[in-house]
Amino acid sequence: MKIGLEVHVALPTKSKLFCSCSSGAEEPNTAICPTCLGFPGSRPMLNEEALKRSVTIAKAVHCKVNEKTHFIRKVYFYPDLPKSYQITQLEGAIGHCGYVDIERKRIRIRRVQIEEDPARIIHADDYSLLDFNRSGVALNEIVTEPDIESEAELREFMSELRSILFYAGVDIDKEMKVDLNISVGAEKVEIKNITGIKNLVDAERFEEKRQEELIASNKRVATETRSYSEETMSTVPSREKETDEEYGFIYEPDLAVYPTNGIIPYATVIASELAKQYSGKRKETIKTIKELVMFDREALKLIQYGAGQSNIETVINAIEVLKRRGKIRMPEKGFGKMLDLLDKGIVLDDDAIAALNDGEDVEAEKHGVSTEEIDREILNVLSQRPDLVKEYKTNKKVFNSIVGIVIKKYKVSPKHVAERLALVLGE
Amino acid sequence: MEDDDFDRLLKTCRIKLEPGERKRIKDETTQIIAYFDTIRDADCDNCLPSYQPIDVPARTRPDKVEGFYDTGKLLGNSKIYRFYIVGPKI
Amino acid sequence: MIGGIEEFVDKEKPEGYYERLIAELEKVNSKLHIFSSINRQISSGIPFSVKDNICVSGVESTASSAVLEGYVPPFDATPVERLKSNGFGFVGKTKMDEFGFGTFGINCKDHPRNPFGDSYVTGGSSAGAAAAVSVMKYHIAVAESTGGSISCPAAFCGVVGFTPTYGLVSRYGLIDYANSLDKIGIIGRSSRDVRYAFDIIKGSDSYDTTCVDHQINGENRKKLIIIDQLMANVDQDILSSFDKFISKMQNLGYSVEHRSLPLIDKALAAYYIISMAEASTNLAKYTGFKYGIRVNDFSKGYNEFFTEARRNFGPEAKRRIILGTFVRSASVKSRYYEKAMRFRHMLIDALNSIIKDGFLISPTMPIKAPAIKEAEELSPLKSYSMDSITVPPNLAGLPHVSFPYDYINGFPVGVQLVTSHFNDYALLDFVQGWEEEFNYRFNYDVGAI
Repeated sequence: MKIGLEVHVALPTKSKLFCSCSSGAEEPNTAICPTCLGFPGSRPMLNEEALKRSVTIAKAVHCKVNEKTHFIRKVYFYPDLPKSYQITQLEGAIGHCGYVDIERKRIRIRRVQIEEDPARIIHADDYSLLDFNRSGVALNEIVTEPDIESEAELREFMSELRSILFYAGVDIDKEMKVDLNISVGAEKVEIKNITGIKNLVDAERFEEKRQEELIASNKRVATETRSYSEETMSTVPSREKETDEEYGFIYEPDLAVYPTNGIIPYATVIASELAKQYSGKRKETIKTIKELVMFDREALKLIQYGAGQSNIETVINAIEVLKRRGKIRMPEKGFGKMLDLLDKGIVLDDDAIAALNDGEDVEAEKHGVSTEEIDREILNVLSQRPDLVKEYKTNKKVFNSIVGIVIKKYKVSPKHVAERLALVLGE
Repeated sequence: MEDDDFDRLLKTCRIKLEPGERKRIKDETTQIIAYFDTIRDADCDNCLPSYQPIDVPARTRPDKVEGFYDTGKLLGNSKIYRFYIVGPKI
Repeated sequence: MIGGIEEFVDKEKPEGYYERLIAELEKVNSKLHIFSSINRQISSGIPFSVKDNICVSGVESTASSAVLEGYVPPFDATPVERLKSNGFGFVGKTKMDEFGFGTFGINCKDHPRNPFGDSYVTGGSSAGAAAAVSVMKYHIAVAESTGGSISCPAAFCGVVGFTPTYGLVSRYGLIDYANSLDKIGIIGRSSRDVRYAFDIIKGSDSYDTTCVDHQINGENRKKLIIIDQLMANVDQDILSSFDKFISKMQNLGYSVEHRSLPLIDKALAAYYIISMAEASTNLAKYTGFKYGIRVNDFSKGYNEFFTEARRNFGPEAKRRIILGTFVRSASVKSRYYEKAMRFRHMLIDALNSIIKDGFLISPTMPIKAPAIKEAEELSPLKSYSMDSITVPPNLAGLPHVSFPYDYINGFPVGVQLVTSHFNDYALLDFVQGWEEEFNYRFNYDVGAI
């Protein structure tokens, strides 16, 4: 099986791609102007931030960034497309020939391009309703080569891509639209406009099975465009779509050719690389680091800072503590001090962390508990409650009860206590 | 041009012609395309395509939000239902 | 002699001047069909008219197409806005060939008639614009040229039609024909009037990427260049009067050089390919529900609905949509659209090297203004061929001006002068020099004080 994807995400810009309307309006048809309505006489003017963000994404997926980039018109008729052509890119797109590495495999990226979003369209029985707030919102499309060969790879790729996009500043919680090209045999089927990763995987699963069954019963798989229905969790042939012949691409004559050499991509990409280096070095925390980097930019800042100060385990432990307590916006100085204390085997309580967060100094004796003290308390509890030790031999759940008793005395992290207890109990 | 090709072209651009009009325009179209073919032997394949006749500087726009002064006026040209523009059935 | 709109600015306007102007204009208009709408509210300023494909806020702007009937743009085109805020008063919208598709000004409802003879065409596509200049004493027309739509009607109506270098005037608010070719320009009764208005409308605009803030030169060149291929199909009576004009110019100190440029014969095909390709995308947006004519039965499927709306295009618009869609189809694109785009590049280089030390000069049109009946009988291809002289500078984005140099059987004939990109003022200087030698004639003087 071969799978190629066209992933569309909204670029993080305040205004639309070609006009100054807001990208994030709620009330229908309030963020509109002659340009995004396609009024006769209106014209596009490119948003510089969209260009910069797209170059950032292109570099993050290791694309060669074209020295000069330009736009084209893709003509097709649908009520949500105000000009009946979409301003998009093809040759001369922002980037080409990149890749995303997943476990044991490289997925090649064919192209990274900018384009405008059509309007939101609501289907009614005898008409349609259109909200042009979305019309003209800056999109970034990432086109892969057909290198994905299983559902697992599909999931892994999407997870990796999400992490990369996150660091390029994309709001990955916004809906992501994917066109899925899938061929089990020789014929390619395109499933257009799938919303979200869950639906993508479901569509893939359905389509893989459908094509397999057709092939098994010696039936032909039609080369066609299909759409995915969330309700029935299946794909059906969709409306007749224009082909390249009909799109009749021409250069967009209302825009210029834009050089990219002066554009400095956002530094977050580099941070993401750093995180990956760590994850590569330290197999057992891949998951931890990925969770951290995928969902918190602040955490990554601290990883970068802490990496020079202490070993990576301590840094990650510290970040976990901070995240759990909602104190991830820690100033670097405070974080440095925290690492210092942790390296000395001192576990910090809430007050200590709050103090560090406020930029105050912390005396280890007052707020911190050293590992020795914890060990001592563990031994103390164990000697006073031999019943628990006995019960633990048959019921491992008792472990947590012991941790609970220890942390009654010290406001320290249960995880830390659990680690010490495990050592003491010889686990 | 073959009839099938011409009809496909009409469908692509959503143009419908009356039977009489269709024959006349098809003949004229064929004639004009034959004239267009005179450009075939122009020796310009080494020239880059000209997007515009002058060099257009790559001006961009800062990412600032500025609303249109009166969005209501933009909707005055269409049929509106609860703030939505009404379009044809899909 | 300072006349024209500068004189108008200084003159005391008599009581009720604008009411009288409008009344006279309406009378002339009922005969010549120049305006699609006249602004009865005008009460001050130098009167300026606007070609119907250029948006004026609150005024129906249809590019003389039934498809756009009822479209009232809520914004002014940049040149309109600049004129309004610099002492001009909007007087009305002028008729044109639908979307600019035409050479004679007859591709629209109740098309304009030539002020020198009302059974003759005005030329197109800025038909009403040139005719309006020819009938009004104090007035300039904002017009637009894609392939000769300013030069041609200026020549047939005996006025000065100036098409600036591509990109010098913002196209924000222009209803597109072919974006990489469209240029907004000025038609006036003299080079001074044209310059006055041009200086107000030019210059970059944050709403039009392709509009540039380039320095404009006025480098006078004492050489006139005639490209032989452009003279090949010119009518005999025009040729002989043009020869006389050239002799006069030689007496005034200009040298004349004949050049051969065989590739220029392909400019017409290249022009029509590019302009139709772009036009077919620009006209795709007219689908009958957001603006312009509305199809009311929303329950039709969208394809049928759109097709229904698009029946309102005139025959020439339909032809260009079909041809334009064809030349950019993936399977033939490299033979037509891309080839023409490359050809344009080659032509620009060739013309630039020829005109670097002189002006390109020729009659504007190969014929005099034809009778309406005659023009109606021409096949589309024959019609297109009438643009053979106006197309090359338009395709190359070179500034050019058409001005009257003679009258044959009572009808004006024009000469077209072309120069290098951004040497625009040199054209107006040249015409101003000519105006010292020659008196323009007009059949009407509406608004004279």
